[in-house]
Amino acid sequence: MSNTTGSGMGDLQSLTNSITAVTSPFRLYLSDLLQKYQPLDEGAIADYIPELALALPEWFGICAVTTVGQIFEVGHCKQLFTIQSISKAFIFGLALEDHGREYVNSKVSVEPTGEAFNSIVLDEATNRPYNPMVNAGAIATADLIKGNNGTERLKRVLDMFKRYTGREHDINVPVFLSERATGFRNRAMAYLMRNFGMVGDNIDETLDLYFQQCSIMVNAHDLAMLAATLANGGINPVTQERAIQEQYVQDVVSVMLTCGMYDASGEWTYRVGMPAKSGVGGGITALVPGQLGIGTFSPLLDAKGNSLRGLKVCEDLSRDFGLHIFNAATGDRNLEEWIAGSNGTDDW
Amino acid sequence: MPKVVSIHSYRGGTGKSNFTANLATTVAAQGYRVGVVDTDLPSPGIHNLFCLEPEQTQKALNHYLWGDCPITSVAYDVSANVGITSGGQLFLVPSSVKADDIARILNNGYDARLMNDGFRSLVKALQLDYLFIDTHPGLSKETFLSIAISHVLLLILRPDKQDYQGTAVTADVARQLKVRKMLLAINKVYSTLNLEALQQKVEETFHETVAGVFPLSEEVVQLASEGVFCVKYPDHPISQEFRKVAQQIMEA
Repeated sequence: MSNTTGSGMGDLQSLTNSITAVTSPFRLYLSDLLQKYQPLDEGAIADYIPELALALPEWFGICAVTTVGQIFEVGHCKQLFTIQSISKAFIFGLALEDHGREYVNSKVSVEPTGEAFNSIVLDEATNRPYNPMVNAGAIATADLIKGNNGTERLKRVLDMFKRYTGREHDINVPVFLSERATGFRNRAMAYLMRNFGMVGDNIDETLDLYFQQCSIMVNAHDLAMLAATLANGGINPVTQERAIQEQYVQDVVSVMLTCGMYDASGEWTYRVGMPAKSGVGGGITALVPGQLGIGTFSPLLDAKGNSLRGLKVCEDLSRDFGLHIFNAATGDRNLEEWIAGSNGTDDW
Repeated sequence: MPKVVSIHSYRGGTGKSNFTANLATTVAAQGYRVGVVDTDLPSPGIHNLFCLEPEQTQKALNHYLWGDCPITSVAYDVSANVGITSGGQLFLVPSSVKADDIARILNNGYDARLMNDGFRSLVKALQLDYLFIDTHPGLSKETFLSIAISHVLLLILRPDKQDYQGTAVTADVARQLKVRKMLLAINKVYSTLNLEALQQKVEETFHETVAGVFPLSEEVVQLASEGVFCVKYPDHPISQEFRKVAQQIMEA
C-alpha cells in the first residue's frame, strides 16, 4: 500500500502511525544506542581540507527506514554534511544503467583491495582500477556517466540521488572547490588511467564531476533512505519511485559488501555483515536487504576513515537483532516485534 | 516495571492537575518513587498544588525541550512539601509560567520525540516506579504521544454533554493508539445525581471502567490549589475516592 495521503489511509491512521514511530520500542532502542555511544570521543575529524574540519565532534545521528517506509530517527538526523565516498556506490549504479554490466566491468574491476582508498594501483594485467569504491575506480566510474556536458552530467547525478532520498540535493561549493584545488593525487590517478586508455579525453570534466559528487550535501535521514531504497529492490519505500533498475541492485549491494568500508571491509563483513558504504564526512549507509536501511552520522573517524560511532551502532544492531547477512541463528531481539511494539519488548 | 500514567481530559477545568497531584501523592505515600511531569506547557499550574514557587525553579521542562539542560536537572523533590516521609519520594518537573517562555513554546513548538526521550531518562535516572503526566486538554500531537506511551490512561469527565462527546472522541483515539489500560473518572458531580446510576450509565456508554466518581466539593474549591487535598483532609470521602482510583492504577 503506497497511499499515505489522501483517502487511502485515513488522517487519524496516518497521525497515529507517526506517533507510533516515535514511541516504537525500536526507536527507543536506537535512542539508547545514541546515549551509549555519544560519550565515545576517540578518533579524529577529517581535516585534509579546512571545510571538513568545521564539523563538531558531538554531532551524532542515527536513522533507520524500513522497506515499508517507517522512519525512526534519533539525534542529529537533519544535520547536513558532505556525502564523500558514499556517493561512489550509487554512481556505480548509474554507470551500470548507462552502459550495462559488461562495459562497466571492462573499465573497473570489482575486486576488493587491501590497499587504502587513495592508493595508485591498477590491475597489472588489465590496467583496470580494483573496484568502484577506491578513488581510482570511482573516477573511472564517474567518467562513464553520460551527458552532453559537465552540467548535464551533474544534473543526472543529482536527479538520481533525489530518486533515492525523495528530496533535492545541493553541492557544498566550498568543499567542492577545496577538493578540486588540492586533489593532486586524484588528478595524477586520472592521468595514469588516461595513459592506459581506461578513461576518456574529458579528464577535467570527469574530475570535476567526481569532486562534485563527493560534495553533495546529505543528512543521516538521506543515508537511511539511500540504503532503504536498495534494501527495497531499488524502489524508494516512501515515494514509491524507482531509483535504480532492479537488475543492478545486486551489483551495487555486492560491491558495498566486499569493498564498502575502505580497507576494513573484510573485518566489517565478518563482524557486521551488512552491505555498507562509509564516507570521510562521517556518514555510513548500511542495509539489511528486504528489511531495513540504516544511516548514521558522526564525524569522528578511525584510522581507516570510517565513522567510529557509526561502526559501533551497526555492530550493535547486527548483533542484537541478528542482522548479519549470512546469519542463520535467531537474534536476541526480533526486529519486526521491536518495530511493531509488543509487551515483550517494552522496557520502561 | 515502571508504569507511566497519563491524566487527560478533552476539555479544560475538569480537574486534571488536582487529580494528578492527589493520585501521585497517594501512590508516593505508599512508599513508591513517583515522578510528575507538567506537560501543559501553554497553561502550566500543578506546581502550585505541590507548593513549589516559580522563584524556586530556575529551570523548567521548557529548558530541557530547548536543549539547555538534561531533564533530571529540572526534576524537583517535593516530597517534604506534601508530607511524604515514609520511604516514598515525589519529584515534579514543572513547566515555566514566564510569559516569554510560554510564548516561545507557542511560537516554535517543540520536538515531541524529545519529550518521549525525556520521560524515559527521568524514569531511569530517578529509578521511578510511577511517572504521572499532567496534560494539556484537548487533542494534539503531544497528547497523542502521552497517550501512546502510557500504561494507564485516566480520562476525566464531568456530567456534561460537551464532556461526554469529547471523551468519546478521545477514547476512540486512545484505542487507535492501542493504549494498554483506560480508566474513566467522573468529577464535579452535583449532589442530586445518583452516583451509582451515573457510573453505570457512563460505563455502558464508553465500554470502559469508571475508576471513581467525585462529588462537586466546596472543600476542594476552598483549598484553592494551595496544597494537595488528600494530605490536608486524609479522611474526607474525596480522599478515600482518590485512594480507590490510585489502587486501580497500581493494579492495572
